[in-house]
Amino acid sequence: MRPEPASRTEQLVLLLTQNQEPLFRYIFSLVPCEADARDILQETSLALYRKFDQYDPSRPFLPWAYRFAYLQLQKHREKSARSPLLFGEELIHLLALEREQMETELNQRLQFLDHCLNKLTQQDKELVTSRYAMRESVEDMMRRFAMSRRTLFRNLELLRQRLHDCVTRQIQSEVLS
Amino acid sequence: MNLESLIQAKLDGEITPEQNAELETLLRGDGRARRLYLELADQHARLLQQPPPLESTPQQNSGTSRTVRWRTAALVASAAAIVLLVFALRPHKAASREATSYGAAMLSQTLDAEFAQPTIRSGDTLAPGKLTLHKGVVQIEFFSGATALIEGAAQIEIISAWEARCISGRVRVHVPPAAKGFLMHAPGVKLEDLGTEFALNVAGQDSAVHVFDGEVIAHAKDKAPASLKAGMSLNSTKTAVSPTDFLPIRELQSLIRQREKNRFEQWQQRSADAGEDTRLIAYYPFKHWEDDNWDRMVNNLAQPVVYSRNGGAVGARWTQGRWPGKEALEFKRPGDRVRMNLDGTYAALTLACWVKVDSVDKKYNSLLLTDGYESGEPHWQIYEDGSLMFSIGYAAPGEKRITVKTNQTYYSQPVFTPDSLGRWHHLAVTYDNASGTVLQYFDGKEVGREVSVLHQPGRPVVFGPCELGNWGLPTQGHRFPIRTLNGAIDEFAIYQSVLSPAELQTMFEQGKP
Repeated sequence: MRPEPASRTEQLVLLLTQNQEPLFRYIFSLVPCEADARDILQETSLALYRKFDQYDPSRPFLPWAYRFAYLQLQKHREKSARSPLLFGEELIHLLALEREQMETELNQRLQFLDHCLNKLTQQDKELVTSRYAMRESVEDMMRRFAMSRRTLFRNLELLRQRLHDCVTRQIQSEVLS
Repeated sequence: MNLESLIQAKLDGEITPEQNAELETLLRGDGRARRLYLELADQHARLLQQPPPLESTPQQNSGTSRTVRWRTAALVASAAAIVLLVFALRPHKAASREATSYGAAMLSQTLDAEFAQPTIRSGDTLAPGKLTLHKGVVQIEFFSGATALIEGAAQIEIISAWEARCISGRVRVHVPPAAKGFLMHAPGVKLEDLGTEFALNVAGQDSAVHVFDGEVIAHAKDKAPASLKAGMSLNSTKTAVSPTDFLPIRELQSLIRQREKNRFEQWQQRSADAGEDTRLIAYYPFKHWEDDNWDRMVNNLAQPVVYSRNGGAVGARWTQGRWPGKEALEFKRPGDRVRMNLDGTYAALTLACWVKVDSVDKKYNSLLLTDGYESGEPHWQIYEDGSLMFSIGYAAPGEKRITVKTNQTYYSQPVFTPDSLGRWHHLAVTYDNASGTVLQYFDGKEVGREVSVLHQPGRPVVFGPCELGNWGLPTQGHRFPIRTLNGAIDEFAIYQSVLSPAELQTMFEQGKP
């Protein structure tokens, strides 16, 4: 007996909810613009819905979903091919391949990110909160932190670099001193 | 912009089309660049997606549910992490780019030198660019082998290892056969050295040359190249040159030796005073005792002397310290160390030392470590990235050992770079168990300040058996991690209080070579 359509949809919704975050990360790595990445995620969800009857539940969901995401971002690229800020097709292809190989490592890095965020200075924490959690506008942030646009972005850049360094160090220094 | 900044600008949406094209080229051409990009992009995507709970807003309800979800996700993933560790530790991490430097010359000697750039020190590698000397005498050794002795006030532009320009001042150049062809530019003339020694005096737009030895080809504007041989001079109408105007290298060397002797004598006096500080737990000035037949004594000279805190050298050999006449111990082989046993329980500490690091070649490079790593025992090391690393831990109640969860580790910014290796530097760290603040210093300047999230006030600091330059006594039949320092130490002080930034700055100023 074929499964009820409703239960298949429920299955998909469940899988999508669980995998929303890694899917977004995958898309964002290849199209590093939040609004575009969100659009592509939407379109990917729709495509997955349409083709869900082809999904074999005995196989992992994410690699399957990545293929759709990749197709959707190709389509998106074609639509806005003139934008000078898009990565070339060849580079996206390379990044996608290498990212799948690095996936476990990237997931591991995110575990340490939590710890490293807690080690930030108070001001850096506030910067993270207003930029990412509160989604404050750049103008509001410039006012609130009394920084020029340049300084603000420079500070954000430095703090993300510190986070990245911290995570790298955490991963490498699991050997107890 | 460098690669990292380009990536960050891309992620912030602040990149220009030109920069985007540059980034694309960099990423296409380099797998390591792509790896860095993927790591930073993934981190950014996570920040955009689900900001983890921050300490600043721990009480909010919405924050709580998020915390739970975050933790669960981490828990699920942590089983896999054990497997992943194997991947993370693979040698591809170590396959880093070959180290590079922009240097064309090095500043080999200075005497009472004052530069427009106040951070310049003797021993610095000099990149192409202008060097302005207000006063004093300096010796520059070009990587081609040519040596220049410059008397202030002078302005020199280093163009490459093979080429320099004298903008003003007096310069004496020595060119060995290997550096034949070295070019020195001066207003109105270009000097091609065919070997050995000449002097140049530049005032205003005029240049005068005198050849002491060998041959120099002078290419003057609008004139045929002229050969200048030993004893010949080329004077302009306004500027003359006489061999006696120039400081002979021998004289500079004797002046430098005299100054080193003075510095050493001053240090000996200060060292005697420093030993009187009642805050000292132990003070090792690394004096080599002539009458020590065993040659292994590293005595504690903190007054009044507690003999049980004397140190003993193992393996490490005596070598020259900061000045001729000042001794140091050199740590090279895996067994080299200085053993000590420091009794007592303390509420704070300052560790301060003079060290010459030849290479940061191990994951952890020892400064001072206690045997083992028990509750309250400090460990002070140089981490593989060149940062100073201080750690102290307290085992959780009911547990015997310090674990990753109870270990407090503090890193400074990286301080040992290719340019700071092979030279004497002052290192210090302070910690007090009330505030939990760890401050780290390099040459008297703060390079790290941190309080661990694990800090709980009032827990004691202890040492017991410990050593300099290495770690621990290997248990019989067991392999032990090699953490030998590759370098030399010539002074080490251990205090039971936090020394102020001003005191540590003074310690550096008074002790610098």
